[in-house]
Amino acid sequence: RTGRPTPYPTRPTHRGRPPFIFARNATPAYLGSRAHRPQANSRHAPHPTEPQTVAHAHPDLFADAAMAAAAATVSSAGGILAMLHEPAEELKLHALASLNSVVHLFYPEISTSIPAIESMYEDDEFDQRQLAALVVSKVFYYLGELNDALSYALGAGPLFDVSEDSDYAQALLAKALDEYASFKTRASKAMEELENVDPRLETIVERMLERCILDGKYQQAMGMAVECRRLDKLEEAIVQCANIHGVLSYCISLSHQYVSHREYRSEILRCLVKIYQTLPHPDYLSICQCLMVLGEPETVADILDTLLSGSQDDALIAYQIAFDLVENENQAFLLNVGNRLDSQTPGQSALPVDQTVNAGTTSTEPAGDVQMGDDTTTANGNAHPVDPKEAAHADRLAKLKGILSGEKSIQLTLQFLYSHNRSDLLILKTIKQAVETSGNVCHSATICSNAIMHAGTTVDTFLRENLEWLSKATNWAKFSATAGLGVIHRGHLQQGRALMAPYLPQNGAVGGGSPYSEGGALYALGLIHANHGEGIKQFLRESLRNTSAEVIQHGACLGLGLASLGTADEEVFEDIKNVLYTDSAVAGEAAGIGMGLLMVGTASEKAGEMLAYAHDTQHEKIIRGLALGIALTMYGREEEADTLIEQMTRDQDPILRYGGMYALALAYRGTANNKAIHQLLHFAVSDVSDDVRRTAVMGLGFVLYNEPEQTPRIVSLLSESYNPHVRYGAALAVGISCAGTGLSDAISLLEPLTSDVVDFVRQGALIAMAIVMIQTNESFDSRVGTFRRQLQKIILDKHEDTMSKMGAILASGILDAGGRNVTIKLRSRNKHDKLTAVIGLAVFTQFWHWYPLLYFISLAFSPTAIIGLNSNLEVPKFEFMSHAKPSLFEYPKPTTQQATTSAVELPTAILSTYAKAKSRAKKDAESKAAANQEKTAAEAESKAANQEKSTEDASGSTSGKAADAMQVDSSAEKKAAEPEPAFQILTNPARVVPLQEKFIKFIEGSRYVPVRPAPCGGFILLRDTQPSEAEELVVLTDAPATGQPVPGASAMAVDDEPQPPQPFEYLS
Amino acid sequence: MDRELEEANCKFAWLKLACAEDELDSCATLLSELKVLLTKFPSMPPSFERTPNAVAELRLARAIYEFAVIFSIRVKDQDAFERNFFQLKVFYMDTRGILPPSPEEYRILGLNLMRLLAENRVAEFHTELELLPPRALDHPCIKYAVELEQSFMEGTYNRLTNGRQAVPHETYLYFMDLLAETIRDEIADCSGQAYDHLPVDDARKMLMFSSEQKLLEYISEIQHEWEVQNHSVLFHMAKVQPRVGIQAHQMIKRSLCYARELERVV
Repeated sequence: RTGRPTPYPTRPTHRGRPPFIFARNATPAYLGSRAHRPQANSRHAPHPTEPQTVAHAHPDLFADAAMAAAAATVSSAGGILAMLHEPAEELKLHALASLNSVVHLFYPEISTSIPAIESMYEDDEFDQRQLAALVVSKVFYYLGELNDALSYALGAGPLFDVSEDSDYAQALLAKALDEYASFKTRASKAMEELENVDPRLETIVERMLERCILDGKYQQAMGMAVECRRLDKLEEAIVQCANIHGVLSYCISLSHQYVSHREYRSEILRCLVKIYQTLPHPDYLSICQCLMVLGEPETVADILDTLLSGSQDDALIAYQIAFDLVENENQAFLLNVGNRLDSQTPGQSALPVDQTVNAGTTSTEPAGDVQMGDDTTTANGNAHPVDPKEAAHADRLAKLKGILSGEKSIQLTLQFLYSHNRSDLLILKTIKQAVETSGNVCHSATICSNAIMHAGTTVDTFLRENLEWLSKATNWAKFSATAGLGVIHRGHLQQGRALMAPYLPQNGAVGGGSPYSEGGALYALGLIHANHGEGIKQFLRESLRNTSAEVIQHGACLGLGLASLGTADEEVFEDIKNVLYTDSAVAGEAAGIGMGLLMVGTASEKAGEMLAYAHDTQHEKIIRGLALGIALTMYGREEEADTLIEQMTRDQDPILRYGGMYALALAYRGTANNKAIHQLLHFAVSDVSDDVRRTAVMGLGFVLYNEPEQTPRIVSLLSESYNPHVRYGAALAVGISCAGTGLSDAISLLEPLTSDVVDFVRQGALIAMAIVMIQTNESFDSRVGTFRRQLQKIILDKHEDTMSKMGAILASGILDAGGRNVTIKLRSRNKHDKLTAVIGLAVFTQFWHWYPLLYFISLAFSPTAIIGLNSNLEVPKFEFMSHAKPSLFEYPKPTTQQATTSAVELPTAILSTYAKAKSRAKKDAESKAAANQEKTAAEAESKAANQEKSTEDASGSTSGKAADAMQVDSSAEKKAAEPEPAFQILTNPARVVPLQEKFIKFIEGSRYVPVRPAPCGGFILLRDTQPSEAEELVVLTDAPATGQPVPGASAMAVDDEPQPPQPFEYLS
Repeated sequence: MDRELEEANCKFAWLKLACAEDELDSCATLLSELKVLLTKFPSMPPSFERTPNAVAELRLARAIYEFAVIFSIRVKDQDAFERNFFQLKVFYMDTRGILPPSPEEYRILGLNLMRLLAENRVAEFHTELELLPPRALDHPCIKYAVELEQSFMEGTYNRLTNGRQAVPHETYLYFMDLLAETIRDEIADCSGQAYDHLPVDDARKMLMFSSEQKLLEYISEIQHEWEVQNHSVLFHMAKVQPRVGIQAHQMIKRSLCYARELERVV
């Protein structure tokens, strides 16, 4: 033993300390602890102080030890530690100072002496207590004990340098912030037991905030201030920043993305609004968005009123605000704003308005100019004499109210969807033929699919062509089929009732039709007027009161709920409640849902009443309806809903727990709240009822739709669960949260599920896939084409079972929804939640239990259009650019009849030569016709685009066509090989899918300039830079039944006006 | 800087003088002053700045600490010995590239080994040993300590007591005394486990006490769990009670936890 040479390199001794210290520190413990909360970590994005890595000390340690023999470097802190115990004060001090300089190398050794150093810190006599604290803090930091490190760092006082650029300082600052923030959060939760925060901690945080502000790192300062609930500092940071509009909008997105506490978010927004209002050039668009979130219609009304009395530009901004507010679909709020605008009579507001206007016209105009670029030659409000001014004001007010009521946007949308309808009837025809023998479910699904495909387009050609086939629908299928008409005519507010008249219950006359079609018609009316039901509410109420047939009651309850969505109308509530108390299963279910729709997001105590009845009744259907209804009332209430959620999720009855899942999902919709996710995951794996588990997983989709990229990752394990219900839920969760994104991860996750062994999982996966892929085409993701072929295969396959067939039929409908011009979006362009869309999808997912609820998906559709409007809210001719390859976002190719495609190819060659001969004779028209026939589907498509929407720019369009013809003459292949242009010019109004929006640019120097630079999409108010010249307007063809389109005025009127749908008789 | 070096040199000379004249108090004061003075040298560890005086300063500092180590043995202060030794060790370990090795080095390292042995810190004894270069084991001081350790481990305690005559240096005697006490404690511990009772006379022999009186003093001062009755020492109180019983609570908790987790397998 004695003679053995030492084979090891010399190593620093660590007295009495086992060597695991090294292992323990190889991965610093706090990095591990961070890993436990990935969400929190991502939320810390605004922090500057995330520690990078601390695993640096160890290599040095060994390197130093190895070098010790050669050069004079310290290999051990033993000497210094020994000196620490010297009786002489000076020696102790010296030792401490030395330790402080080498602590990063020798913390394992020093850690054994920590008690000694601690006692120095606690010794009041000792005059370098703070140094001792600093040393201890550093050692704890290296040992990964961040809590201890922080408390000693606080003890170190000024010696702890906030601006130090070391890992130690950075990590501790982050820790301090975390501590402080969590303390503040706790303090705000429990007001009564408000203990005082450690003043030293507060000082450190404040020092850090000040440093950030001084260094110009405003975003970091704001992030920290928000997290620490220091609104005073937030304000300070914002006010000091030069780019105040930039930081304000940053702050708004910050509060929406990272602040999970609802009340606190309101507080921040209120603070922001306050800052906005003190600015010389307020950004009214953002202010009103904030105010909407805060629910302050008065202020919005004031702002709008002020703007209306201002210059032309101000009025434009007011209109833009109104359109933006409408996009968020908050009916109750909009009604409120409208009413308040009414109550502000011009006389009352004249005085203050005049003042603000006079100031405003001078002050806001430059603001507009900054946004827009060049000159201002707009009519100035001051120039008008008083009378015309008032008249103008009244006129503007009327227009504004038109927008706020949603009528304008609905009308324009309807016109757009009608004129741009590109639905592919061939697909429907194929489906219809394929399911001829497959029974009721597929029949219904086909009708539904048709309704979805034509949602909002008012095109019911398919139905009219197949009246006899349609009449096969009986009983509830008939109910659904009638309701489908509502989806097709969605938004047809003026004509809606007239359209549905043949099916509606006739007052007095009993024998009008079957109760199923009558009930369906009432439901359809609700769908037409969804969220804009002021006009129809009364009629629906009467119908509800006048009937005792439960099917009609069912339809009327749903219709009423939809029409008065979120208005919390007491009378309507009473009416529906009466139906509920009849305790009829069919009517009661709809009543439950209807009540929920009526009270969406109000969190009123009515929910308690509903819950009590749910406990009383025997009918499962009613319980389910009520459970969903209760969940709906909690929409968006976040923490406020916790008590009720707790109550529901602890219930004995699985149906109520199921409702609890919906409540959880809707209350925390789009917040990605960690707590909600944990709870849902917990139920997804632990509940005994499959329904509850399925819904819990599905709920994840709702909670996470603001971060769609996260969802596939979170549910990926669940999608491989042994339980088919959980798999189904996972599929829908991905569908819901990634709706319309075409996200690659989502598609990859869904793909295997579409060929699952269990039929209903396949169904769910197909539907979810369609929701994800809506409005994407094959050139964007090749799997879209594969999926379309898969759908076709499933539909045509005789041996496929009904469930997945139904899924495939619905999926085909959803893929081409709304004439291929709508997408499913749960958030508006301003990143707010679209209430109707979320509610629509939530109720839609109920189709598991009740097929007619399928039609709720139409609520989630939003048109993908850019519609530019001038100050008269007309659509001027106007062009803008899309800086992306046209093929990336174009319509999917129309399907061709399989039998004919192969046959056509042979004649092509003949036609081509024929065309060549003709073109030599310079008969252009004929050559084009030939070319059109000859071309493949894709080319036909682009050609059509040429004609309708002018794919190429003005000068190039004619030559382009000529070139087309020439190329066709020479060789078809060559044409295909021609490089695609990298941009595209679109004409107002145009289809712009959400993914395309970021490529949209307005052409410099064009006549019209948008009042809002970004985001590009939806309705855009345009400022006319040449107001004196005559405007060229695009006349949009209105939907049918409102008159013939103006001939020749619009290039968009592609086909003849279809007739209003023929009332069809069911053979019951 | 030169002035401070001068001053330190001067004081160190006084110190040696005072020590030679057995003025222990003034020695301690001087030593403390010298240490404070040393902290002012920039070339001191841990910075090891390379000043022109560095070699001289380091050499002086090493000499002072060597003196301090020896001095602490003289005043029989174990803590001071440890402190001084650790401060000195830095010079031995880290200045090899700068200073020639000190003639005292192995004697002092050996002393440290003796200390560890006397305090029964065998693990650290071996750690220290590992740090020594192989040739150091031939040095009589180190060799002596190593042999003592071997005897100690083997339990040949009388070789240890006899080793007192063969000390390589007089300073070692201090630790030999300490070692004797350590051995006594070792034996006492073992007897506590090995016997139920023992006649007082046998116990005295075993524990190497010269008189019964000293044994009784030892028992009353250190071994509180021993009893003396009828001329024999009873050890029953010193026996370690084996602990029994399974931690049922924990077991149940764990099983329940497993059951729950199994339920949750998705």
